[in-house]
Parts: sequence; C-alpha cells; structure tokens
Amino acid sequence: MFKKFLLTLAAVIVFSTGNSYAGASYHEAYQEEDSWLESYNRAVFSFNNGFNHYVLMPVSRAYRAVTNQFFRNRVNGIINNLEEPLYAGNYLLQGEFSQSGVALSRFVINSTLGLFGMFDVAGGWGLENQPTSFDDTFATWCIPDGPFFMLPFLGPSTPRATAALALDFTADPVYWAVYQDSNVNSKISYTYTGIKAIAVMERNMDFLNDLEKNSVDFYSTMKSAYLQNRKNKGCFRNADENPAVSYDFDFDMEEEEEDIADELLVQPLGEKRSSRPQLLVLP
Amino acid sequence: MKKYLSAIVLVLSVLFPVWAAEAAVDAKGAEQFVKDVTEDGIENIINANISQKEKDARFEKLFNNALDLKFIGQFVLGRYWRTSTPEERNEFIEAYRKLNIQTWSKRFDEFKGRNFIFEGTTPSNSANQVFVNSEVPMEQGAPAKVVWRVKQNGDSYKIVDIIIENVSLAITARNEYSAYIKKAPGGVRDLIKDLQSKTK
Repeated sequence: MFKKFLLTLAAVIVFSTGNSYAGASYHEAYQEEDSWLESYNRAVFSFNNGFNHYVLMPVSRAYRAVTNQFFRNRVNGIINNLEEPLYAGNYLLQGEFSQSGVALSRFVINSTLGLFGMFDVAGGWGLENQPTSFDDTFATWCIPDGPFFMLPFLGPSTPRATAALALDFTADPVYWAVYQDSNVNSKISYTYTGIKAIAVMERNMDFLNDLEKNSVDFYSTMKSAYLQNRKNKGCFRNADENPAVSYDFDFDMEEEEEDIADELLVQPLGEKRSSRPQLLVLP
Repeated sequence: MKKYLSAIVLVLSVLFPVWAAEAAVDAKGAEQFVKDVTEDGIENIINANISQKEKDARFEKLFNNALDLKFIGQFVLGRYWRTSTPEERNEFIEAYRKLNIQTWSKRFDEFKGRNFIFEGTTPSNSANQVFVNSEVPMEQGAPAKVVWRVKQNGDSYKIVDIIIENVSLAITARNEYSAYIKKAPGGVRDLIKDLQSKTK
C-alpha cells in the first residue's frame, strides 16, 4: 500500500518537473476559465451552496443552539488533535523536521495531559499549532496547482488540491485506527466526517453568509479568495523575492497588460517609474 | 533640477526597484500609522461603552479617514474605470464605500479582546507604498496574518488594501466586479445599482 503510494508520488513528481510558477504575479492568480468549465463550476457551486443552506447550515445552527462555545472549543480541539499526526508526517515529507517534532509532541502532550486534545496544553508551553497538509507538501515538491474546479459537496479545488485531499482523507488516523473491521470502520468514519463538517461549518457560516450577502458574484469572490490563498506556497514562494509579490499590484502593469490606447485617461501612479504627476484626483 | 532628480530616481528604480520603492516610503511612519488606526478602533469603538449607532458612526469616520477609497475604487474597477463616466466613478466609489462600511462595522466587533501584533514592513513594487505586517492571535489555532498596504503622500498615510491570510480584499473585489461586469448587460451601471441595493 505504502509502496504504491510512493510510486504514485514519484510519477507525479516526474511529470511535473520543469513546471514552475515561482514569482508569478497576482495576475495569474485569478484564472480565466473556458466557458464550459465555468458553466460546470458555477453549476456545482450553486448546488453546493444550496446544500450548505438547506442541509449543513441548519444542522450547524442546531449544533450551535444546543452547545456553548466552551463545548465547541473542546470538540474543535479533539478534531485538531486527531490531525496532528498528519501534520507531523507531512512536515517530515517537506523536510521540516523540527516542525514535525512539534506536531508530534503536541499530539502526545495534548492526547494525554490535554485529555484527547480537549485542551491545548502544548500550546501553552510554546509548541504552537501549525496545521499543514499534503497540499503544502506537494507545493514544497514544486507540483503545480492546475486549473480551478468545483468539487460536489467539498467545494473549491484544483487537481493538486484534490489529490492532496484524497491523501489527507486516507491518511487520517481515524480511518487507519479502525481499518480492521470494515463495518465498524464505515460507521465511525461517517460519523467523524459528519461531525467535522458540522464543526467547520459552525465556525465559518456567519462569515460565509456575510460574504454572500455583500457579493454581487459570490462564485467569483470565492474563486478569487481560494486561489489567492493558495498562491505562494512551498516551492512557489521564491525566497529571494518579495514575500508580498502575490498580492502586490501596480497600475503600470495594468497598462501594459491591457494595452489600451486611451491610457492617458489613467496615468500610472508610481513616482519611481515616471515623473508625470499622480492622477488620483477624480474629475 | 526637479527634472534631473526624477531622471535619477527613474534610473535608480530600474537598477534597484525594491530599494527605490522602499526609499520612497517612510516604512516606520507607515507602521505607526496602522498601529494608531487599529488602536483607535479597538479603544474608541470596540471597547468603548457606547451605543451601536454611535459605534457605527465612529467606525464610518475612522474608515473614511484611514482609507484612500478613490485609489482603491480605481484599482477595483480595473479596466472599466477608463470607460466609465466621472459620475459613474463617483457613484461606484460611494456605493463601494457604503457596502464596505456595512460589512466591516459589523465584523469589527469580532475583534473584541484581540489585538494586533505588528511585525515590521515589506517593500512594495509600487512607489510610495509599503506593506505593514501584523498578526492577530486567535482563540484556537494559529494566529491570523493581516497585512496592510499603506500609501504615503507627503506626511500623510492611507490604507489602500488589507490582505488577510494572503487574500487581498482589493484583488478579490476586482476579480468579482470584472466577472460581474463582463456578464451584466448594463455593465458598470448594473454593478452600481446592485451595490446600492445591498446597502439600502
């Protein structure tokens, strides 16, 4: 099983060498889609949105109604603690040995002294929670992201994110620990997945609803935010470059990019590139 | 003399783009400006013992003073800025301003009991701008990374973008609005109407 996994990874790495997006500007973050892909994505997005509004959010609201913040924090703590071995493994694959040690120590300390992760004892000792995933590992290995697409139920994704998600899912200790008895296994894993989905939605639904209410094109907002958040990860973060490069923008670039003849209407803002006066005064 | 100076700056900026951008901005001043704005917000709005209405009014004032909305609006509208009439531009900025105030004055209260830890600055490729880095410790999990893009104009500073966990609010709005305008039959006019309807 593990051998097969390694072979798959090796294949992915071989196929992806030579592709580097390092130092890409924010312009590349938001991908223009083919019309068929966009239609598909928007359809799945609205399906997911409906599912969230009619199923997941009502359940999450019920969960919020019958629990208090203290209880929910303990549940979140347990879920996070169960992921700590995954973090440790991924940091190892990324060559981040000390981070891997931190995650492992956190798991041992919080599982015991922290009562199965209910309390973050290790965090109080300076061992801070630093989540990571297979997607971060892939990014460290310079595997490119690929086109944006929507997964039913699971939300925004890319080929790299989907592959990583599948691995995160199968490598989750909850699925391994109960791997022996398939009947018990499926019950536990369904329950665990359900609880996780509800807990995550409970934490995020106010923000999501707010975002939707204030958006004129919610799909584009989510897509843009998702892709920006994924940029500049691992190998795609060029150490010599400005860490702000993914969200730095410059009006001059707009001019070049769009190549519009009436450029005199809007003059570049940068003093360093031009001695023309700044034009920020609205007519 | 001024002409020569600009020429020198231009040449230097081609050779040392980052250095030139950095040199043009008083990074310490920019950081202090963001510190003052956040402290003002936390002390006089979030922690103040006043009515919600008064809080909203104070937030609007802080928002108007701290942000350069004309600059942001121009960036957010992107290529459509050029093709818009002056009236449309002004209406867009006003609608965008109101929507943001509505969104953020509500969310602002969630910062109760939290504070910003400032972690220095990062240069921008745009002249007279700089990124001020900060973190907000969360109740659970890793702290949230908040970066402020600050533009200097003489002695005064304005925030022109806020980047939360690598997500720039300006770029997100720009992507969203361009996608919307492309599909809307009435273009920018439709966008303005839609934004206005959200704050009524």
